[in-house]
Amino acid sequence: MGPSPCFVVHDPLEPAEKHTDVTTTTRADDIVVRLRDIGKNFPGVIANHDVNIDVAKGTVHAIVGENGAGKSTLMKTLYGVQKPDSGTIEIHGRTVTLSSPADAINAGVGMVFQHFMLADNLTVLENVVLGAEKLHGIGAGARKEITRLSDAYGLAIDPDVLVEELGVGSRQRIEILKVLYRGASIIILDEPTAVLVPQEVDELFANLRDLKAEGLAVIFISHKLDEVLSVADTVTVIRRGTTVDTVEADSVDSRRLAEMMVGAELPSPSTESSTVTDDVALEIRDLRLEAAGRELCADINLTIHRGEILGIAGVEGNGQAELVESIMGMRSGVTGSVVLGGRDMAGSSTRERRDSGIGYIPEDRHRHGLLLDSPLWENRILGHQTTGDAGRRIFIDRARAREETQAIVEKYDVRTPGIDTLARALSGGNQQKLIIGREMSGDPVLLIAAHPTRGVDVGAQAAIWGHIKQARRDGLAVLLISADLDELIGLSDTIEVILRGRLVGTFDPATVTPEQLGTAMTGAGDAA
Amino acid sequence: MSDARLKRVALAIGAPALALIIAFAITSLVLILAGDSVIGVWQQILSVPDVRGVTNILNAATVYYLSAVSVAIGFRMNLFNIGVDGQYRIASFVAAIVAGEAWLPGYLNTLLALVAAVLVGALWAGIAGLLRVTRGVSEVISTIMLNAIATAIVAYLLRKAAVDAEGSNITATKDIPEGSWIPGFSLGSDAPNDVYGFIVVAVVVGFVYWLVINRTRFGFDLRASGASESAAIASGIDVKRMVLVSMLLSGAVAGLVGMPILFGDAHNYGSTFQSGLGFAGIAIALLGRNHPVGIALGALLFAFLDEQANPLQILLDVSPDIVKITQGVIVLTVVIAYEVVRRYGVRLEQSLVASALADDDTDDKGAEVKV
Amino acid sequence: MRRMTKAAAVMSVAALVLASAGCAKKSTDSAESSSGGDECVAEDSSKKVGMAYDVGGRGDQSFNDAAAKGMDKAACELGFTTSESEAQDGESEAAREGRLTEFADAGFNPVIAVGFAYSASVAKVAEQYPEVNFAIIDDEFAVADNIANLVFAEEQGSFLVGAAAALKTESDHIGFVGGVETPLINKFEAGYAAGAEAVNPDIEIDVTYLTQPPDFSGFNDPAKGKTAAEGMYDGGADVVYQAAGGSGGGVFEAATAADARAIGVDSDQYLTADESVRDVIITSMLKRVDVAVDTYLSDVDGGDVPTGLTRYDLEADGVGYSTSGGQVDDVKTDLEDFKAKIIDGSIKVPTKP
Repeated sequence: MGPSPCFVVHDPLEPAEKHTDVTTTTRADDIVVRLRDIGKNFPGVIANHDVNIDVAKGTVHAIVGENGAGKSTLMKTLYGVQKPDSGTIEIHGRTVTLSSPADAINAGVGMVFQHFMLADNLTVLENVVLGAEKLHGIGAGARKEITRLSDAYGLAIDPDVLVEELGVGSRQRIEILKVLYRGASIIILDEPTAVLVPQEVDELFANLRDLKAEGLAVIFISHKLDEVLSVADTVTVIRRGTTVDTVEADSVDSRRLAEMMVGAELPSPSTESSTVTDDVALEIRDLRLEAAGRELCADINLTIHRGEILGIAGVEGNGQAELVESIMGMRSGVTGSVVLGGRDMAGSSTRERRDSGIGYIPEDRHRHGLLLDSPLWENRILGHQTTGDAGRRIFIDRARAREETQAIVEKYDVRTPGIDTLARALSGGNQQKLIIGREMSGDPVLLIAAHPTRGVDVGAQAAIWGHIKQARRDGLAVLLISADLDELIGLSDTIEVILRGRLVGTFDPATVTPEQLGTAMTGAGDAA
Repeated sequence: MSDARLKRVALAIGAPALALIIAFAITSLVLILAGDSVIGVWQQILSVPDVRGVTNILNAATVYYLSAVSVAIGFRMNLFNIGVDGQYRIASFVAAIVAGEAWLPGYLNTLLALVAAVLVGALWAGIAGLLRVTRGVSEVISTIMLNAIATAIVAYLLRKAAVDAEGSNITATKDIPEGSWIPGFSLGSDAPNDVYGFIVVAVVVGFVYWLVINRTRFGFDLRASGASESAAIASGIDVKRMVLVSMLLSGAVAGLVGMPILFGDAHNYGSTFQSGLGFAGIAIALLGRNHPVGIALGALLFAFLDEQANPLQILLDVSPDIVKITQGVIVLTVVIAYEVVRRYGVRLEQSLVASALADDDTDDKGAEVKV
Repeated sequence: MRRMTKAAAVMSVAALVLASAGCAKKSTDSAESSSGGDECVAEDSSKKVGMAYDVGGRGDQSFNDAAAKGMDKAACELGFTTSESEAQDGESEAAREGRLTEFADAGFNPVIAVGFAYSASVAKVAEQYPEVNFAIIDDEFAVADNIANLVFAEEQGSFLVGAAAALKTESDHIGFVGGVETPLINKFEAGYAAGAEAVNPDIEIDVTYLTQPPDFSGFNDPAKGKTAAEGMYDGGADVVYQAAGGSGGGVFEAATAADARAIGVDSDQYLTADESVRDVIITSMLKRVDVAVDTYLSDVDGGDVPTGLTRYDLEADGVGYSTSGGQVDDVKTDLEDFKAKIIDGSIKVPTKP
């Protein structure tokens, strides 16, 4: 299978070595942001300590680290959302105290969040001036300024179009424009590529290069190392709350960065030889879902054999979640057939489907996968009230449930002080490992894994990939939904692309490139 | 670890205790502002009740307890059954009619009336459940409306069913024959009044509530639906069915609320039958955190305050309404205290996890993949 | 759950607070009121009278106030030491018993229970305290050697004001607003209708009750009274009789706004109601609870403790109609004629509508 362009490690034995020297190649007076010994404590979470970062003007400075390494805490500190417990922040050479985002904006720091904050039913102009009416008014002055900024940074924004008509990439550019409009010279971008398809990523990067050419400083937070390397000038790596190193982007490769992030060797999602059998585990025919007069899924036909991983690629919101919920029986208004192991499940309840052997790793584990304020052993019962040994009778066999939970914790390497710990207290990766352990414990025929590694750290990601591969080897049929194209290409035996609720193309992961998938996902090309 | 456990237990006890102290302080402030004797009031309220008082407290707590358990069943499912008030009144009325007619002899008559009360309570709550499930009507709205409707129906039917006692202005149903009364027991030979025999039923109801909620699959489904409806749906729980069933159960227990009074004291349903118990139940369920033992303590506390406050006006010329303020403030402070403790507990837990992980962090990341 | 908990907390607290707000007035200091005038005799701490009010208590401008007035008068003239306690809405039987027991324990004798709700509790407590004398107003069901039942012929007084209404109406259309639909208030309605029909058999009478038991807010909700009366005045009625306790003020307001007339209840409301609405009150049905209480206490003081039934009717001047304001002066002869016929028994007034 094709090597992952993102986490490429094929020589596992080279030990990681730490870069301990802070490399500084820019002149001191170019430094626009200087963080010194920033510390922030929260009980129970890895926050920040001894964070030192210098960001020079006219550069893209990437901050990389695993989920939970402390990037968000650091950015909240820099954007004035929270005050650091120790250390100093210098912006443009002056030591500042940032007590609120308003302070940060006044100091010239702007932030573009991962989730856009735009009003769909307003125009671009209205969205940009909202809350900043005093700067250039709300009329001609504002329009002139927006046009000027758009032209200067190549953002190609029409101020009078309604936001609801715009795509994700354009919306992101509006967010950037909003920040520029408010006079920011330092722009923080939080995981900006997470919501973009490859083509849009390229456009974003072109914009970023324009920004830095105009002398702005861009702080780019990401864990996608190839992207970081292609756009950043300087990269600071954060691990366990502190900055471990700052390097020039052209002096490292992604593998090196990844090793610095995790301090260890890296796994690859690539799958091994095919285990696909002729045994059909799941067959979906003409599945259609309609809700409130809107067609959410249509003409879905797919077959998954035992031992096969079928990947579904697609830009989020194109019917993936609806498809999964239709298969799980969580939706009304579904027509067509869902045949599991030869048995048509149409009209069956979610519980009947689960009892028939569907394991389900939901997309949003907090909303659909866990009872956050319940202990782990109770979460082990969830979804298996009738299948697990613990819950088959009227009374729940608590001792049995606890034993089983302990077994899952050990087998699936769930890092927890004990099975009485509340699910909420665990990190995302460990929550996910618990869910996978739970779903696998029911001996499923079909495993539905929706974004199984979303928001989990690299270590947990590797473990989760391992478990999915093991499931495939054990003869399960796996339906894998992911936004991470590398994950899809690396794990799947077949990839289907979903667009506006329909399957628009089938690809062989051995030969497909992320760009081809991206084209199909946006409907730009004529997919097969 | 055990240290942290200890801490958690201490917090669980400390929170309500602190809340009580704050509530007492606020009440004292009100008394001072009103120019009443703070010390005198607390001396009376915190005095040791006599046998009659203890009996009254147990009796009132029995009724409060059933009401609060009924509310708690809904709470566990994220349902806000405000309709316990209407449910127990209409159920008590029907039970009084059934028992008064005495179609069956002795305790069979009692049993029949109890079954009728449970069914009527469940049915009345079930209307709200059905509306919620089929039409999406908030149970808060529908149960409030059903309370008003219950009042009207009972008033209407009571006039039809009432028997005339010569010279009495009280409208009431026919008296239940003495053989169908539920006998009480006295707390001493000199006790002027009896503790409701129904207190035993209340204890059983509490135990069954605990057993079903905490030990059965049904209870798990119910709690899961309450904790996270989305997770419950994904786990295969038919949440709509659970809504209906838990409303029915809540109403069934609500049907029992008036029974201690009916069979232990009043022996008929009339215009002076105690009302408003459903609302007290809401406050007590909150106070007891929906836990059967917590609810029992809350019910005893409320009953204690009520009983001790009753003579205030006679002895000190202070309106017993002052304890309504105390009770209200207790509910607020307790809820706030629980929330504070809950947040603290989560952080405590997270730091436990973090420290536990820090121990084996050396062989941490990129751990070998089990393939 | 958490969000819900907060909502629930707020709502339940609101319910508790609202419940108490309705009756949160502290009783006026009885010592003060009884020693108000110079002519009052000194309080004798050995003569202690306790009064247990119905819901509303002292200050309800109606039934409870009338009882309080009687007690105050006796206390002033005879030197009783008084204490009082009022009922909570929807309270338990144990609370009523507790109230009476507390009085008895604290050495109050006699103890006066205001309102039929105390029927069962007076019977029970009287049995436990045979040496204490009890009086109960509006109830003749609780019978014992140490219980005096003070009851009224409300239907007779209501008959007279009904006749007055029928004589004064210009539209031959009158109304009746009852507070809570209980048999007691039914008596008011029955007498009123009979009186009106005795004058004009074809008269149109609107009848409404504000609430149904166990919701007793109908005795304490002027807004409800106002709405009900407004409906009647809009519908063409021009005289409305209210037997609605504290809700009656709303009826008077509606009458003022409609430039129509109203009839008060229990006490002479032309003298006690808010000045701005007095002019609409043509008469009031007097139910002399104050007289009954005062008489009872005087008898107790005189050593002749009454027991058993005392019926305060027209003959005993326990009920009647008021003439303050002079608005019924023109029909007074007719009313006196009816009164005489009731007393001599030639008119029998029904007690049920």
